[in-house]
This record gives sequence, C-alpha cells and structure tokens, in this order.
Amino acid sequence: MYDAIYIEGKGKPTSTFFFKYFHNDALSAASSKGMPVIRAVPENIVSECTIIEDIEASVTAVFAEIIDALTKPLTPEEISPKRHEPENPPRFIFKGSLEEVNRFFYQRGWTDGLPIIPPTEEAVIEMMTGTDFPPDYLVEKLEPRLGKATVEKIAINAVMAGCLPTYMPLLIAAVHALGANSGPGMMAVSTGSWAPFWLVNGPIAGDIHINSSFGAASPGDIANAAIGRAMGLITKNIRGIRKQVEDMGVLGNPGKYSFVAAENEANSPWEPLHVERGFHKDDSTITLTFPQSFQQMLPFSTDDKGILATVVGSIVPARFGLFILVLTPNNAQSLANGGWSKQAVKDYIIKNTRVPDDYYGRLGIDAKTLGQNNFLATGGDVEIFRPSQREPDPVHVFVYGGFGSWMGFLQGGSSPITQKVNLPKNWAQLVKKYKNIVPNYVRY
Amino acid sequence: MNPNNTATTYEVLSPWAEADPIPLKGLAPRVDKLDGKKIGLLCNNKRAAPLILDVTEKLLKERYPSVEVSRFTSKTFSVSSLEKEREGEFNDWIKGVDAVIAAVGD
Repeated sequence: MYDAIYIEGKGKPTSTFFFKYFHNDALSAASSKGMPVIRAVPENIVSECTIIEDIEASVTAVFAEIIDALTKPLTPEEISPKRHEPENPPRFIFKGSLEEVNRFFYQRGWTDGLPIIPPTEEAVIEMMTGTDFPPDYLVEKLEPRLGKATVEKIAINAVMAGCLPTYMPLLIAAVHALGANSGPGMMAVSTGSWAPFWLVNGPIAGDIHINSSFGAASPGDIANAAIGRAMGLITKNIRGIRKQVEDMGVLGNPGKYSFVAAENEANSPWEPLHVERGFHKDDSTITLTFPQSFQQMLPFSTDDKGILATVVGSIVPARFGLFILVLTPNNAQSLANGGWSKQAVKDYIIKNTRVPDDYYGRLGIDAKTLGQNNFLATGGDVEIFRPSQREPDPVHVFVYGGFGSWMGFLQGGSSPITQKVNLPKNWAQLVKKYKNIVPNYVRY
Repeated sequence: MNPNNTATTYEVLSPWAEADPIPLKGLAPRVDKLDGKKIGLLCNNKRAAPLILDVTEKLLKERYPSVEVSRFTSKTFSVSSLEKEREGEFNDWIKGVDAVIAAVGD
C-alpha cells in the first residue's frame, strides 16, 4: 500500500488489489502515510497463493472495480481528506483496582494478554531512574504510526512488562534498533509472523542478570522475560502494530512474547558478536534480528565434522532470509579445536548448503520457479545461500546456552541491527540497588 | 482477586504514544478513460503479486486493445520504503505511465 500512496503522491492514479482480510491493515497503512482515502479493491486471493485458477477467478471478478478506481471521478473528500487527529489520550488514563486497571488496558488493546503491572506515576518515575534522559526526551518516532517513543512512554511500557529500572538503557537502545530502518516494521507486520530476537553483549548482561547459559531463552529470568515483553508492548503501543489490524501474521509466533538472551562470551572461544560487528569488547550492545522459527538439532557427532554436517544437511530450502546458527560453548569449542574461526564456519555453510541437483525434479517441481519465489538463492540454482548486495552476510553464528550439545537454528529474517547501550552516570549504584533480585530456588 | 476490591487504587499513565497529525494528501486526478493510455503494472516480491498482474494484463489487452502496459517489480515488499537505491528508476517509471494498477500479494 505504501507504493500506491507514493505513486498517488507523484500525481498518478493508482488502483490496488488487496486480500479481503487485509482491510484494516490497508487503512492503517494509508492513514500512516497521510492518505486515508486510498482506492483499493478487496479480492479473494489468499496471501502467497500460487493457484492460477483461483487468481484468474478473483481478478476477473473485481476487474471492473479496479478500472473504476482509476476512472471514476474523485469525491470532494478524496480530493481534500478531512483532517485526521491521531488519538492522543490524556497522560493519566484510568484509576481503579489492580483487576480494573488490567481489564481496562486489555480492553483498550494495550496488553499482550498477560496481566500487567499498573504504570502508576510513582512506578514510572522509579523506572526512569535507569536513564539520564528527561521524561520528554524523544528517542525515536516509530513507524508505522510514527508514535513518539519518549523516555516516559518507554518507561510506562517497561513498568507494565515488569522491568527493573536497570533495563532502561537496553530498552532505549532497542528502540533505536527498531527505528534504524524500515526493516523491523515490515517484519513485525508480515504474514510470516517474524518475531524479534534480541541478543545482548557486553558487561550490561552480567550487571542486570541476562541469562546467557542454561535455558537462556526459557522463562524464569526477569531480564530475559521482561525486556522482550516490554519491546512487544512498545511495538503495540508506540509503533501501533496490533494483531490482525497491522500485524497480519498468519500463524503467530510465541517469540513475540519475549525472546532474549545474552551471548555466552565467557565460554566462547571466539570474539563476541558485538566485537565482530565493530564495537569494543567493553561496550554493551543489543542486536535485533527477526527470525521466523527456532529449531533445535542434536549434531550427528560432537566434533567439528559432525556439527557442520548436521547444519549443512538440515537447512531447508523453504525458508527466507538470514540463517543464525546458535552454538553452545561446547559446540563452539569443538569447532575452534578443529581450527575453525567463526568466519570460516559461515563461509563453509554458505558454500556447502545445497539441494541435490535432481531433488526437485523427482518431486515434479521445476527448481527455477523456486528461485523466482525466493525459496532458493537464485532462479535455477541449487545453492540455498548466496550473499547479495542487499544481504552480504546471510549466515551468522551466535554462542549462547549452557554446556551441552544441542544447537539451534534461528531461521529467516532481515539483517541484524546492533545498537550500543549508553549507561547513566550512576550506573554502579543502580546495579548495586537491584542486583539481588534473582530467583533463589529451594532444593526439594 | 476480587474485582470489586477497591482497597488499593492505582492511578495509571497511558502507554499509547502520542503522534503528530500527519499532513493529509488527496488522491491524484483520475484518467477519464483507459483507451490509448499507458498503464503501469506494479508488483512487489510477494509471489501472488506477479500472477495477479499476469491476469490483469491479459484482461486489459482483451478489453482495452489500445492500452499499453509497463511493468515494475519491487525486489522487496515495498520499493518506495525499502529500495531507496531504486528511487530514480522508480520515479522515471511513474513519470512514464498514465495510471497504475498495483498488486501487493496481500
């Protein structure tokens, strides 16, 4: 829809086909670009459909409407749309019991379905002790709604998610990552249900207890749970990306609740991700990627040969975008012992991940058409990865998790975005204040 | 939890971000008829999109034989948002057509 709006803005009439279930999405896209009266025609072609007969029937059924949209004279409102005021609720929005606050927020569409901590002014002020920026400091305007991610709005959503004030520097950096380019917005609204994965590097991970070891991506650590959750609420309440309105993910993705880990730098034989990406080892960073799925594999054997053979033999063609190999410290050490650098591992995966020449032919499918549909690197080629100008580095390696042999595949998504975390002046005192908030499991 | 328990009351702040009003734009003037016009057919990289345009092109040629068509294919979901390097090429294409039919595959 953005392209149609762009073309209309260039003075050329445009008529757009859209799948009938994307009506709200189309209206939000048009409003966000200042053209709330776009001419678009609903049809009955399911997203990603390849069945020619269905497409022919649907296009034929609405063809006259498509032509009308180009030729029918404009109405006065289409020439000069009425002024549209964005909803800017008052700062204090509600007063009530814990249950009433939760019900009100849920019914306004402001939660992820789980209970929230009420964002009282007192709680929000405490949250903002985690940054030196003032409450009205504008961190980013986030697409598509161009909502103002001020420090106070970030803190309100952080309180709701259960964050501690020491997470604020990371949240601010993460908001910058969302605003870095249009990629994260496109991923968050896509039918593909891409979910953000946040990898934290540097000293802040230890300062605020972001788990990098056993079960790093499982529930049970406030930081891993609440940072991702806060970013999900920010996506909803600041970006304006709501389920089945702007977020048109078909299957959905549990990673949208929270998918956060710190790299296990202390036990990795290689340079950490942020150093690989040009930051200093003592910097703290947060890296955003948008995988579609998370898969775990047990290597055929735990030496370098077995690990690499499992990876290369298990990457499926029906996938889009980035591939991130998640290695435990042991897997990484096995590879390092075999003389493999991180770059050498990536190069090996790119070079050797191939579909056998006759594979698709035996299934009655022309591999050339798969290339056109983005399933393979290029039309007619059986390589799954091919670095391009748009994606020069399609394979990455992250090291996290406990001591063990399972490895992970983060499949799909756009290029990683890494942002440096800026700490407030009183960081040491803040860390000291909150450092004892950790689970203490009782032996039974 | 008792929903009628008002012993503790929370006065809470709104999590919904403020946004500035966006200057609104009207639609471009329409063409009076299609005959003799050059119609741009735009699709993104969603795989249904070019197939929708194939059918559209066929119907256009059947019903408006004097229409000329010109295709532009985005390499991503949106050429104007994600392919800044093609801005000049895209603008030239827009200049060269009288109207556009777009298929975005969603």
